[in-house]
Amino acid sequence: MSEPWPLVATGSAARRAIRDPGPLAVSLAFYGVVASVLATLWRTAAASHGGALAGYSSAQFVWYIFTSEASIMALNPRQIELTGEDIATGAVAVELLRPAPVLGVRIATEVGRCLPRLMGCALLGAVFATVMVGGPPRPAALFLAAPSLVLAVTCNLTAQHAFAGAAFWIRDARSTWFLYQKLVFVLGGMLLPLQVLPAWLHGVAAVLPFTAMAYAPARLASGHLEPWLLALQLGWLAVLAVVARTVFAAGERRLQVVGG
Amino acid sequence: MSIVADGLTKVFESGRGRRRRRVEAVRAVSFSVDKGERIAFIGPNGAGKSTSIKMLTGILFPTSGSAQVLGMTPWRERRALTRRVGTLFGQRSQLWLELTPRETFRMLGAIHGIDQAALRRRVAELGELLDAGELFDTPVRSLSLGQRMRCELAACMLHDPAILFLDEPTIGLDLLAKQRFRELLVRLNEERQTTVLLTSHDVADLEHVAQRAIVINHGIVIYDSEVAVMRRTLLSTKLVEVALAGPAPSPEIAGVTFTQVTETSLRAVVDTTVRPIKAVLDAVLVELPVTDISVTDPPLEQVIAEIYAMPST
Repeated sequence: MSEPWPLVATGSAARRAIRDPGPLAVSLAFYGVVASVLATLWRTAAASHGGALAGYSSAQFVWYIFTSEASIMALNPRQIELTGEDIATGAVAVELLRPAPVLGVRIATEVGRCLPRLMGCALLGAVFATVMVGGPPRPAALFLAAPSLVLAVTCNLTAQHAFAGAAFWIRDARSTWFLYQKLVFVLGGMLLPLQVLPAWLHGVAAVLPFTAMAYAPARLASGHLEPWLLALQLGWLAVLAVVARTVFAAGERRLQVVGG
Repeated sequence: MSIVADGLTKVFESGRGRRRRRVEAVRAVSFSVDKGERIAFIGPNGAGKSTSIKMLTGILFPTSGSAQVLGMTPWRERRALTRRVGTLFGQRSQLWLELTPRETFRMLGAIHGIDQAALRRRVAELGELLDAGELFDTPVRSLSLGQRMRCELAACMLHDPAILFLDEPTIGLDLLAKQRFRELLVRLNEERQTTVLLTSHDVADLEHVAQRAIVINHGIVIYDSEVAVMRRTLLSTKLVEVALAGPAPSPEIAGVTFTQVTETSLRAVVDTTVRPIKAVLDAVLVELPVTDISVTDPPLEQVIAEIYAMPST
């Protein structure tokens, strides 16, 4: 019996990332510093508002930030750019010569590449948060945050591929990366919980897919037992997969017409 | 028939309005290839070789014309076709740098739906055939280009393809690695009856691998013939460069024309149909104070120019 290629792709990429511990160590160190600074800022802000802000206590803010940062820092920061380069230079054409969908293999591979970093960040974040404010606000909710983190990374990678697919037409996808990054930072809840935003902006963010990429796991880890967030992530993953697939199918067709 | 191309044409268009550019990369290319043939598709850079291969593997839609590869229309049945053909682009790797080739083979095996036990057997078999078994457990980034190309060849042979499309597979290889790679291709073809269609701008690939040559230039097939016939008519000259220890009179040797003579060097064109290259070299070494000597093929452009000059057949 043959092995399922998505599992082999994910496993191979994860092994590849582990065998190159230098970048893994650097990204963990960077994560530790950035997440600690942000967590301290929000912890102080909550403390100065009588111990809670927008419904989050100081301890909840700390767990929120360590989780939201983990969900984003697990990814290669230049993923859109790299995928866009592969498309623009025609390197992706070689992948058309395999009997498997280009997009599927790429996403499975990237998820595998991110997993060791995600696990490292999540563990490091849990240790730091525990040292700063004690154990998780609600262990049952933290238990749900684990699969939510994997879904967050998968949603993010799928959306990034949809954005990078612009390179089939515009040759340089770097501009889309700048836009995308800012949307995830603010509307995805990476820098702050959505409840901190003005009501109208919170309303806008709530109907966008970016919430599935940072806010959902962070909300769970901060002690909010809201299992529907996992369903929301799965829903967005399905939508993003359809969008990315449509973009790649159209892009591949264009590549077949105009060449790489 | 393994491959039938009929009037394949590819026009690339870019820009808009006055800046619109139209490049005819391939113009009405027609040829057919039988099972088990070894074909060299040769021509200078930009001749249309890679574009033709891309259409035959389904990566590119043609602007007009038709093609059948193993009974399939490549651009309509690309995914089904990838299960039956292997493709190697000399300038694009399909191996992952951080992994060993064996790990990449596992991934490719899964993509091709190859049974795990069958994959292990196949990898062992290819390791033996390509004399590369010991390379399969070395990280790709540690392999030399020649070693990597042997592993690339194994990667595209994993699913036992009926046709191998090789786009400039020897580019960048040193002389020994090129020679070895060519021998492997011939062995693969002879042992497994794999049809080989190879593009190159190296005349030696044509001489040592192919049974038949299709020469393409400016997108048009300008010559299609058995290599034996081609060799007799077009590859019958060699260029010889000799470095001398001191001044010496140019010897008179039948079939040799000296094109440049100085006190310390000679350049000559040898017509091997008049006198074999070995006999010419023997004579030169006996009659002149030689310090260095080299023999090269005429550049492909010259061969193609000769093809242009030929009366149509």
